[in-house]
Amino acid sequence: MRKLFTLIVAVALLTTDLYGQERTINGTITDNNGTAIAGASVVAKPNGGGTTTNNTGNFTIRVSPSVRSLEVSAVNFTPQTITLGNTTTFNLKLEAALSNLAEVVVVGYGTQRRSEITGNVASINGKVLADKPVQSFEQALGGRAAGVQITMPNGALNNPPVIRIRGTNSISLSSYPLIVVDGVPAFTDNQSGTAAASNPLSSINPSDIESIDIAKDAAASAIYGSRAANGVVFITTKKGKQGRARVNYEGWVGQTKVQRLPELLNAQQYTDLKNEGLRNAGTYNDNPADNITDNYYATSLDANGNLIDTRWYDYTYRTAISHNHNINVSGANESTRYYFSFGYSDQQGIIRKNDFIRKTVLANVDQKVNNILSFGGKVSYSNENNLAAVSSGSLAGEAFGSYGLGRSAILQSPNVAPYNADGTYNVGAGGNLGVMENKVASVGFANAIPSLDLNRQNSEASHLTGNVYVQLKPLPWITLRSLYGIDYLLIDNESFFSPLTAESYNVGSATSTYNKIKRSIWTNTAQFDYTFALKHNTSLLVGTEQQRTNTNGFGLNRTTLSDPFFTTIQGGFGTVATSGLSIGENYLYSQFGRLQYNYNKKYFVTGNIRRDGASQLGANEKYGTFWGASAGWEIAQEQFWGAAGIDKIFSSFRFRGSYGKVGNIAGLGNYGAISTYSSGLYGTNATLSFNNAGNPDLTWETSKKIDFGFSFGILNDKITGDVAYYKNNIDGLILNVPQAPSAGLPNAISTNVGSMYNKGVEFSLNATPIQKKDFSWSTSFNIGYNKNEVTALAPGLDQITTATSLETVSITKAGYPVGTLFVTRTAGVDPATGRRIFINAKGEQVYYQHVVPSGQSRWTYADGSPAPTVSAADAVILGKNTNPKFLGGFDNTFRFGGFELNALFTYQFGYYVYYGTNSGLRDQRFWNNSTDVLRRWQKAEDPTDIPRLIANDNISNGSSFPIDINIFKGDFIKLRTITLGYNLPKRVVDKARISSARVYVSGNNLAIITKYPGPDPEVSSNGNDASSQGVDRNQVANGRIITIGLNIGF
Amino acid sequence: MKKQIIYIFLAASILVTSCKKEEDLFPVPPANISDAFAFTTPDRILNQVKGLYATLRNGNFYGGRYLIYNDIRGEEFLLQDPNEVTGAGVWSQSVNNSTNNVKDFWSQGYFTINRCNVFLDGMETTGNNVVGTALAANYNAEARLVRALSYYSLLQLFARPYADGGGDKPGLPLRLKGNTSLGDYNLPRSTVAEVYAQVLEDLNFAETNLPVTITDALSRTTRAHRNTAIALKTRVYLSMQKYDEVITEANKIVSASAPFTATTGVNHALQADVTNLFKDFTTTESIFSMPFNANETPGTQNQLAYYYTPARTVVTGGVGQGLYSLNPQGIIANTGWTAADKRRTFVKSSGSGTTLKYWMFKYTSPSPYTDFVPVIRYAEVLLNLAEAKVRSLNTVDAQAVALLNAVRSRSDATTTFTVASFTTANDLANAILTERRIEFLGEGLRSPDVLRLLMTIPGKSNIPSVPSTAQNYIWPISANELLLNNLMTDN
Repeated sequence: MRKLFTLIVAVALLTTDLYGQERTINGTITDNNGTAIAGASVVAKPNGGGTTTNNTGNFTIRVSPSVRSLEVSAVNFTPQTITLGNTTTFNLKLEAALSNLAEVVVVGYGTQRRSEITGNVASINGKVLADKPVQSFEQALGGRAAGVQITMPNGALNNPPVIRIRGTNSISLSSYPLIVVDGVPAFTDNQSGTAAASNPLSSINPSDIESIDIAKDAAASAIYGSRAANGVVFITTKKGKQGRARVNYEGWVGQTKVQRLPELLNAQQYTDLKNEGLRNAGTYNDNPADNITDNYYATSLDANGNLIDTRWYDYTYRTAISHNHNINVSGANESTRYYFSFGYSDQQGIIRKNDFIRKTVLANVDQKVNNILSFGGKVSYSNENNLAAVSSGSLAGEAFGSYGLGRSAILQSPNVAPYNADGTYNVGAGGNLGVMENKVASVGFANAIPSLDLNRQNSEASHLTGNVYVQLKPLPWITLRSLYGIDYLLIDNESFFSPLTAESYNVGSATSTYNKIKRSIWTNTAQFDYTFALKHNTSLLVGTEQQRTNTNGFGLNRTTLSDPFFTTIQGGFGTVATSGLSIGENYLYSQFGRLQYNYNKKYFVTGNIRRDGASQLGANEKYGTFWGASAGWEIAQEQFWGAAGIDKIFSSFRFRGSYGKVGNIAGLGNYGAISTYSSGLYGTNATLSFNNAGNPDLTWETSKKIDFGFSFGILNDKITGDVAYYKNNIDGLILNVPQAPSAGLPNAISTNVGSMYNKGVEFSLNATPIQKKDFSWSTSFNIGYNKNEVTALAPGLDQITTATSLETVSITKAGYPVGTLFVTRTAGVDPATGRRIFINAKGEQVYYQHVVPSGQSRWTYADGSPAPTVSAADAVILGKNTNPKFLGGFDNTFRFGGFELNALFTYQFGYYVYYGTNSGLRDQRFWNNSTDVLRRWQKAEDPTDIPRLIANDNISNGSSFPIDINIFKGDFIKLRTITLGYNLPKRVVDKARISSARVYVSGNNLAIITKYPGPDPEVSSNGNDASSQGVDRNQVANGRIITIGLNIGF
Repeated sequence: MKKQIIYIFLAASILVTSCKKEEDLFPVPPANISDAFAFTTPDRILNQVKGLYATLRNGNFYGGRYLIYNDIRGEEFLLQDPNEVTGAGVWSQSVNNSTNNVKDFWSQGYFTINRCNVFLDGMETTGNNVVGTALAANYNAEARLVRALSYYSLLQLFARPYADGGGDKPGLPLRLKGNTSLGDYNLPRSTVAEVYAQVLEDLNFAETNLPVTITDALSRTTRAHRNTAIALKTRVYLSMQKYDEVITEANKIVSASAPFTATTGVNHALQADVTNLFKDFTTTESIFSMPFNANETPGTQNQLAYYYTPARTVVTGGVGQGLYSLNPQGIIANTGWTAADKRRTFVKSSGSGTTLKYWMFKYTSPSPYTDFVPVIRYAEVLLNLAEAKVRSLNTVDAQAVALLNAVRSRSDATTTFTVASFTTANDLANAILTERRIEFLGEGLRSPDVLRLLMTIPGKSNIPSVPSTAQNYIWPISANELLLNNLMTDN
């Protein structure tokens, strides 16, 4: 601190003699209608100070003689320059800006005007995210920016969406972009320890977001060096705006319903078809003389004598009601800016007992002490209750969980009821669904209904983030800034399983774990903005940053409930064991710099550099240097452009290009590079065992990114567009290279070996074709094309297969995109016999019959001779890639009078989804089936795609191992949101003594055009995992939401 | 002016660079011990020794599945739950290279071996000096015993029996150096004989260097002492059909006449009540067992009681899932195994008529399943010796009959064998094999007993028998090994 003080004094001394012969300039800034613009920025050029206009649009600034002009800018207006002569008073009218070129873009440790940016940054206004019925803001980003893919994995509440910026950029590490919230890198990924998902980004109240800027290329992201490979997303929360205090209330209430569920057999159909299967298997037996050997399905009657026909969907899904409220107060004068908000959100999921309840508080304050010193800070607290009773079966790793609701809702027999006639739960052996009148061993796994009623699997997150900064401007062109920020995520996981439920049948258990994840960051920057000889605009940023992240978790698991009264960990149990122990720390130290130069706003160059040291890396490879360089040429500023008259059409036209090298270590373990021994127990004695083989040479994954393109504005920027080509070459991909198992190593050692590329083209267009007083239409369209290919894995590691829990359909292999589908081929159903025809690895057709007379083979060639068993070992790559080739959005807003209609379509094309659920829907064990099986093969020459039903056949339809018939095109167009709003007219508003009021009705996911047979082709059974996307296995579907809302400003 | 700018810039740079914590870039994990310090104190080294046993005890290996696989390959059990995870393919003799049971068992076996090797390397480099010669000898011997048992266990499932060609068939990749980092791990298979030779070399070293006795009952049962090595050698030599060596080894720890006891080292002896062995796990009959307790459990789907006993709603006292019932045509159908035999109390039934099922109740501690898992019992040494004598001398050997009687009569006072009970030496040998089926039911000896004699694995239910010439007489090699070890060959 002493050094800082010395610096301040030095700087203060230095500045005094520069203000020798100042003069004062006054002025008023208004819009075209003469309405004062408050908060407009007035900056003296070159190298002078700056000020902002007050509530009446007036400003006063003292400038030195070297100042030649004032640049005036305001949000949503086109900037103007005032050339200073002898006049000292100005009245200026600003034109409303039609394009986004005037807006300010966050670029990491600073901001830049869009028109001066040479890197590739997509910006999204916070307005489009507010009022959306989502848990976290990024769920609403889909379709908003070219090349940004957002996939909502399923209907489990607060499950983090899959985000990819320009494709998948890693195999083993995370492909999730770096999210920087007000300068502090945020935690991402599901942090819950229970079946209720918890996305740390949900602690940001979407209505508190001012803007989102997505840095896509190396030039824009290189300032984040080793963490930039997946792109960087900058979140800026709201600050107070110049003017009197404003109070806003925003609220909505919504209703969610599940959609597009597969149609299932009813009780009678189920009973008949399952019996048909038993007959075909030769095991049907209803011999009345001997009920011991009975083996058949039968319907049951309820207490009133009616046929039991249970639609398990009705017990699993619900019509969910959600409501959301925000109140904020904000304002600013010349010296103080503030924004306070409180938010409350209570959202129900479409699965019963799956709730999300969030309370948020945010305070942003900035204080200008004098022309040199200012400081400020932010405190944000959020409490999120993520509630669930039963596993949704939809989070990463849960696809085959015994209790997953996505699966149990479709597989349980419709001919039994959840309750017995006496009202008790219908529970048989082990807590499984009781068989009622069926004379078979089982008709379902766990009866989910007692579990939904009695169990709990909750995760409560307390999320505290904040930062304070101090900023010095010793000279108008020097900005020194120091920021200290924290991000504390405290997670309380709490679950209870009743002894009446299958999860802990006859035992009963409770688990509570507490997980503290704490991050602190200290950033120091110095920025120099200087203009030489009027036209040479330069800006230099240098800085350092250190970031430390700690994790610490502990908890208990207790089993054998002593008394049914107890439902918490503190109650009576027979046993106690530790649970959820974790500890770790990582540290990142960085130095960075950025140099920007433009000549007369015509030629632009920018260079970024960052040197990072990270504790997670091998002892020999702690440091890495990353950089990005970009250049731009605003051709419309050239004289010949105007001279040729092209400016009458193209009001701006800029070429730009960038190249750089960035890194990725996201998701790397804290201590994976170190060889360690771990402690355990043997006969109550402590042990120590070699548990991790490290790699001292482990280092970053390296992305070399090239990007070039052009942006243009047509007809005074009424239409703006952007075209970009990019290629990202990734080297040194960290792969966990398996060694021969007989080497006996404790782990597959992480090594930098693989390589991969993404390349593509992006195009976006914004236009306001009609802008009239009573009617306007604005539209934006974007599309991105991406191609991903793995070019090398490790020597000796030909392919990496990634399992979806118990089955493997994803393979990563050189020459193919990451995580392409890998299944065994089939060739339809033999019309003569109704047998499924498989194709083995050799390409031979092999017929399968689940039950054959003793001594015969279940696998035969067409001529009946025995064939080797076909299995997952016969899987091949069919060239079915899971990464969309094309994706984007199409957004239209119409305003007429007080009404506003907005519709956003999103789409993805050119990819495939493995619909694994479908194999369960046709499984011939006791599982219920989709109505597809009604078209089963029954007699010779029946043309069908459904094989003859044989009881317990789990092979013919792909349950035992994955087969090609369950791969479908995922292409879709969705009407993501449609909103009709009405702004109450001014006279009504005035009468009510409020400043504005808006009511709206909005629909989300209202329509989808797709040939995909499952509930939703936008799906991920494996969360954000890079190498196993495009798998739909036992997921709960996405919901369709209608909300009505009200916004009032006071 | 220029000077001043530089001044500010420098001041700023100094300010911001002064706070870097270089040492924090080289973290020390708080909950683990770095490999640099693993051999620096006597306590850490001792803890590592115990860690080797704990690795052997893993549920995928000797803590459960080694026994389960070798029992369900045999004819005594019937599958109740067609779950591949819990060994359905093993039971039906239909595992392939990719079956998880195969891959996991192979991996865990070699994982144990490598930990032994890493330990032995570390001892040689620094550890021996840290603990001193005497303790170092003990510890190295324990590591080599664990390694020997691991190699022996892998041989039983992945290699042709020694009897097939006198060990000239492909055995296992023989790895004796610790692996701790990336490397070239291609290694071909040694022959069966070469691997057995290494097993014996390790056990001989162990015999010489292990402590003669251990006083504390729990440690005596769960850590190796000299008699442990000798007892295991009787098993290994029996598997190799080297009967004279079995006799030599067994005689070191079996007195010449009844009551048979070990007269040196730990005083092993049969317990009066066989059922007591599965309640009190640390008697002198339990030469070596894998301990479990509430904080150390076999892990999900590895627990013996979970596999073999049904739910308590099916049979009183049941604590498991009843994944395997007893085959009514198996050893429990043996009429010579009388109702008076105490070992019959390990068999319980449920249902009646066509739903009648039999269950094995040897392991009965409820969740979290704390039954010790037996590795070798003194009763086995006695029967190893008995069988070796019969097969070696090819007569109805009187001591063999006495040894057989020792095991039989402590459970069944009503049956006494005499030399006259057996017409031929082969009859006696078969009686001993039958006794082993009764005595060691559910203790993992059945499949090795069948294989070492190149007998056909009997069929059961709808699973056909497997002749010794069949490919599935032994397991295939792990698919991962074949993929990643270029010099490896399949069975």
